[in-house]
Amino acid sequence: MTTVLAPVEGAAVGLAAVPDPVFSAGMVGPGTAIDPLRGPGKAVAPIAGKIMKLHPHAYVIVGDDGKGVLVHLGIDTVQLKGKGFQLLAAEGDRVSAGQPVVSWDPAAVEAGGRSPVCPVVALDAVAGAVTDVARGAVHAGDELFRWT
Amino acid sequence: MGERKATVAAEVGLHARPAATFVQTAMKAPMDIRVAKVTGGEPVNGKSILQIMALDVRQGETIVITAEGEGAEEVLDQLASIASTP
Repeated sequence: MTTVLAPVEGAAVGLAAVPDPVFSAGMVGPGTAIDPLRGPGKAVAPIAGKIMKLHPHAYVIVGDDGKGVLVHLGIDTVQLKGKGFQLLAAEGDRVSAGQPVVSWDPAAVEAGGRSPVCPVVALDAVAGAVTDVARGAVHAGDELFRWT
Repeated sequence: MGERKATVAAEVGLHARPAATFVQTAMKAPMDIRVAKVTGGEPVNGKSILQIMALDVRQGETIVITAEGEGAEEVLDQLASIASTP
């Protein structure tokens, strides 16, 4: 069982609230999404493991059991080409759960006309494998869901 | 063994929407789907979004998709079409 932590502070709103069907329809996988607190903040690792992919706007951490969790910082933020994002770790690094990975500002993303909502997705998880999904206010590092 | 080459056209590469669409289609196929870069390296499981993301195919890179068995040609056509859609 993997406990997945909230990567950012905000409100857990569920994947259905993500304004991108690739996430809201669960195409990437099950999980939830956080509507982040507006203002400068640090996105942290949702699990302990290795940073398999690190883009400014998204990252994947893979745990020792091979489970991978995707954190996507805002929607269509790939278009920002890294502007407004600062990497605090490097691809291939081992991180502990809760360790800062990227600093960013959801308010700036929103001001640019994009949704800052952050999908947190259990990659390759089967339906029903994600349980105890938090709703409402979460701090970065709080338990967000469980993955069995 | 059926094989298709496809050059990834999406700006984001084989990530996000293209990756999710690719894997969802691959999951519906009864046979194993393998994906590799044409430049070499170990093929990955085409039904795993994690492995497809790890393969890290960028726009303009060419992949080789392989499948074997009844209906493989159709599945390969579909997957090659998804990969080469802008």
